[in-house]
Amino acid sequence: MLVEQELIEKARAGDAGAFNQLVLAYRRRILGTISRLIGRPEDVEDVAQEVFVRLYYSLDQLRTAEVFEPWLYRLTVNASYDYLRRSKRRSESRMSDLSEQQVMLADALAGAKQRADEQHKSQVREFTQALFSHVSKEDQLLLTLKEVEGLSLKELEAIYGVNENALKVRLFRARQRVLKAYKLASEHGSL
Amino acid sequence: MIDDEHGLDNLFREYRASCPDFDADVNFMPHLWEKIDARRSFWALFQRFARTGTAASLALFLILVLLNATSEMRRPPVAPTYADALAADHTAESTYYAEAIRMQPVSDQSLPDAGQQDR
Repeated sequence: MLVEQELIEKARAGDAGAFNQLVLAYRRRILGTISRLIGRPEDVEDVAQEVFVRLYYSLDQLRTAEVFEPWLYRLTVNASYDYLRRSKRRSESRMSDLSEQQVMLADALAGAKQRADEQHKSQVREFTQALFSHVSKEDQLLLTLKEVEGLSLKELEAIYGVNENALKVRLFRARQRVLKAYKLASEHGSL
Repeated sequence: MIDDEHGLDNLFREYRASCPDFDADVNFMPHLWEKIDARRSFWALFQRFARTGTAASLALFLILVLLNATSEMRRPPVAPTYADALAADHTAESTYYAEAIRMQPVSDQSLPDAGQQDR
């Protein structure tokens, strides 16, 4: 844990200073997680603020300070899910669009190195998001937490409150779907 | 198949690198507290409306109960049971039709001879 349990208890009791310290301690980690969950850096801060607002109003429901981190992750997943569901700009990319994106990537590489690097990163994000669009938003978040964030099944079990075996099945199915889309993209030369 | 698995794993690694950890800008905390306060004032307003609504509903309920009770007291006394009400309604005057059904049919022999009387 990044903070002492005492600090969490103080924040639960309504201490604004303690809550500020809590936010400062977890802000960076939560921003990074959200950035990978939603794949759009420009909206990360808004979603993170939503997470901390929800945290502020739900701290009194926290049973013990020990489960604070899974609790915070659950709030993060829920807020990211709400964002993805609301988002109208969600890329409904088809495999045919991906090759176009790759052409754009090639164009970008002709520019300055830094700009090209940034463009490449952007394309990687777009491409991964396009692959994720082949699974439900819930499975997208679960897969990201496992494959990208590197959380263990035990950690995921604590966050979701779901049996480890059920999570394994969900993860396997989601990964198979993404893999199928990835293979299709490879065959179409989109990679 | 295995190549694809590796390719996907590499893509996930690259994706992670393309979304690095970063810190928020200086306005993060002020904006956060603005949002917390905005939601708090919304809830306060909602609670005030809810409390007023509950009080108004309770007052209306009491008024209706009171009106109902007073109208019960003013109503003229009625037969206490259904059987009594039925009995009160079925007086002798209202049952003449039953008597008519019980009457014997009139035969020709029992009537006085109309021709003899004429003579």
